[in-house]
This record gives sequence, structure tokens and C-alpha cells, in this order.
Amino acid sequence: MEKEELKNTIFAFVEKAKGKKKLKEKDIIKGVSADAGVEKDEVKKALREMIDVGRLMYSYGGGASSVEIPSEEYLREKGMIK
Amino acid sequence: MKKYDTPLLDELEKGPWPSFVTEIKKAAQKHEAAADELGQLEKSYKTKRGYWKHGGIVGVLGYGGGVIGRYSNLPDEFPGVAHFHTVRINQPSGFYYKSDSLREILDLWDKYGSGLTNMHGSTGDMVMLGCKTEALEPFFAEISSRGWDLGGSGSALRTPSCCMGASKCEWSNIDTMNLANTLTQAYQDELHRPMWPYKFKFKIAGCAVDCVASIARADCSIIGTWRGDIQIDQGEVENYAKQGMDIKAEIVDMCPTGCMSYESKLEINNAECSRCMHCIAKMTKALGPGPEKGASILIGSKAPIVVGSLLSWVVVPFMKMEPPYEEFKDLADKMIEWWDDNAKPRERIGELIEAKGMRPFLEAIGVEAQPQQVYEPRKDPFFFWKDEDLG
Repeated sequence: MEKEELKNTIFAFVEKAKGKKKLKEKDIIKGVSADAGVEKDEVKKALREMIDVGRLMYSYGGGASSVEIPSEEYLREKGMIK
Repeated sequence: MKKYDTPLLDELEKGPWPSFVTEIKKAAQKHEAAADELGQLEKSYKTKRGYWKHGGIVGVLGYGGGVIGRYSNLPDEFPGVAHFHTVRINQPSGFYYKSDSLREILDLWDKYGSGLTNMHGSTGDMVMLGCKTEALEPFFAEISSRGWDLGGSGSALRTPSCCMGASKCEWSNIDTMNLANTLTQAYQDELHRPMWPYKFKFKIAGCAVDCVASIARADCSIIGTWRGDIQIDQGEVENYAKQGMDIKAEIVDMCPTGCMSYESKLEINNAECSRCMHCIAKMTKALGPGPEKGASILIGSKAPIVVGSLLSWVVVPFMKMEPPYEEFKDLADKMIEWWDDNAKPRERIGELIEAKGMRPFLEAIGVEAQPQQVYEPRKDPFFFWKDEDLG
């Protein structure tokens, strides 16, 4: 799978869980790896790249960390959108 | 410039001790955030209610930890603390700073934050208290360009911490500072990108005196120890006795395993010694650790945040601890992997071992069962075995 396609698959996976389940990084790696038949390390690398550029973000609530789709407010604060 | 009357907080400035109120008042001369912190705290004292909200989405790009989101519930009344985030900065091993390094970081904190700090948080990080959301990225850019980095927070590895070890202490059996630094470098990813069910802490003590209280606070405690006999200088033992030490009462009778006796000279049955350091710490000139140095690896302690507190218990009684520490890192990776695969959200490794039992944990990490791992002797009347154990 091409990297961009993999990133879109990861994004869709996170989007699907939005509002239903807080996903740990590992949940995403395991889930996408199983769904898409891609090596876990590859998923991990792609996921990290997405976090580094703000396409996904780490969040924290209820004592545990999760990975989420950033809000507009967050992207604005990081200077990614005007 | 006084912004609020704080009669209740002023009470805490009385008496001979340093006062946090005095320090916050000093910071309030320069920072609105510190002034409003005082105002909100006085209100809390009056109403007996807290006004902080915790968590949410604050941090620096690419990092999942190191910043703890903190907002005031009363932003209109106390605008200076509307955002009052905590920034954790990874401390150097053993808390060694040059004075100009400290000045550098504190000047930056005056520029971007409230000017208030905790030196240090209980995990060990330098804790910068009170940063606005918009100041996080510029502050981080400044400190990282000068070689500083954020510490851990959230469901991540927390900043490894250690005692001063051999740099200043004659009892240290391992190079705690080198090990803490090595682990910090090796686990950068796990420190900054929270990927686990909950927090995980390494704490490293050079000996069983355990100045970092690792046995009560760290998921994985690395405690310096030795193999072989305690070194005895009988001449110095005699000197202690001459100087008035009651060796029987203060040393022999205090030995937890009763492995010592004292008539004309001090005798130690080293096979029974649990290396607790009591005798060595009391008779530093007369006694010393044995010649072969290493560490005991313990697992599972935690403070009572989610459920009750636990103390660590021994997994590996003795392991050599020499750079590059591959044997230890290999063991740590196995321990973390088992915990990560099996734990519920917000479940620490000690709780998981309590729930599942020590046996599956030991099997997963490939460590043989040993008597030193017994946590509470003669407590469990049940005995479990597998067919292959009957061999």
C-alpha cells in the first residue's frame, strides 16, 4: 500500500471511532494493520508522520492519552490554518 | 503592586519557614498570572472549592506529553490564569545544574510563563507552572534550541530519575546517572509519544537506602546491590564501640534477617543477609558493600491515584549493570510489552500482576521463579502447577 493511501486509511479508522471510542496509538496500529494487511511498523511510521504534521494529534482526558483528529481551534493555535 | 487582598494566604507567611505565598507574591510583582493565581487560591480558601480544570488538548506539535493542560473555571474573574498549563522539563540525571543553565531556563520562563516553578515535581522533572496556550510553542522552541527537552506525561514513560549515585555517594553500587541518562536517550519515543495503557516509571537508586524512594513510586525500580560478603574492618567496628555506639542494640538487633552477632567482633552470616544497607549506613567506616556490584530489578509500585498504593517486589535479585545495559533494556522491553498487551486503560503494571498473578508475568519475560520474588511469605494456602512442572 502506498504511504498516502495508508495515511488515508489511518485517518478513516480514527474518524470512524470519533465520539465512540478513545483510541490509543496501539489500537490504531493493531486495527489498521489487521484491516489493511500492512505491517505494524509501517502503520506506526505513517501514524507518527501524521502526528508530526498535525493531521492527527495526541489528546489527554480522564487520565489517559489517546490519538484524535485535531480540532480547528488546535490547528489555528499551531498556525496550520488561518 | 497588589491586586488582591489575601488575608487567609497571609497567615501562611507567618512563622520561621519559607512560604510559597511569599514566593508567589514576589512573582506577582512581574506576572499577572502569578497575581491571579493568588487571587484564585484565596477564593478557594474562602469557599473551600477548587477552580481548576485539568486535561484537554494542549501540547507542542509532535509531542503527546510534557505539557499538562490546566484551565481556570473562573477565567473572567481571574484572566491571568485562564490558561495555566504546566510544562515539564526533563531534568539532568541526579539534578545537577550549572547556575547559568538554571538562570537561562528561568529567564526564559519569566519571558514566556508565570515565573513560578516547582523544583522538582515528584517524578523529577523541572516543573514550570503557568503557561498560556499560545506561549507553549515559542517556549518549547527556545528551550529545545538550547538542549533542553520536555519530560513525560500522560500514558507514556515518565522521565527516568535517579539518585546522585557514585558522583557523590560512597554507597552507590551502580552508576545511576549514566543509567538514567542512557534510558532517557533510549526511550525518547516512549517518553514523548504516549502509547501505553497508562504511565510507566523507571527510578534508579544506587543502593537499598533508596533516596529516590523507587520502591514506593516506580513501576520499575532499579536498586544497586552487591554479591558476595559485606566488607568488614574490625578495627573500625571497635572504634564505633569505643565512641559509644551500642552495636548490639543499634546494629545487630535491627538487622531484619538477624544475620549478625557481636561479641568481641562483628560476625555476619552473609547467606542470610538481605542487603538492606542498615548496618552499612550506620557504620560507614567499618562496613562496605561486597565486591561484585549490580542491581536488583523490582516491579510494580505505584501511588494511590486510581486504586490503592503498592510497593515494588523483586523480579531479578541481581543483574550486572554496565553500559550499554542491553540485558536490562531487553528485560524492560519484555515487561512493558506484556503489560501493554494485557492491561486495561489506566491499569499500572503492578495492578496487572496482582490481577493475573506473578507466574504469567515471569513466563512472559522469561525469568525463572526464585525465592527472592516471594512478596508475602506463607500467605497463600493454594498451590498451582502445570503438568510440565511435574516433569
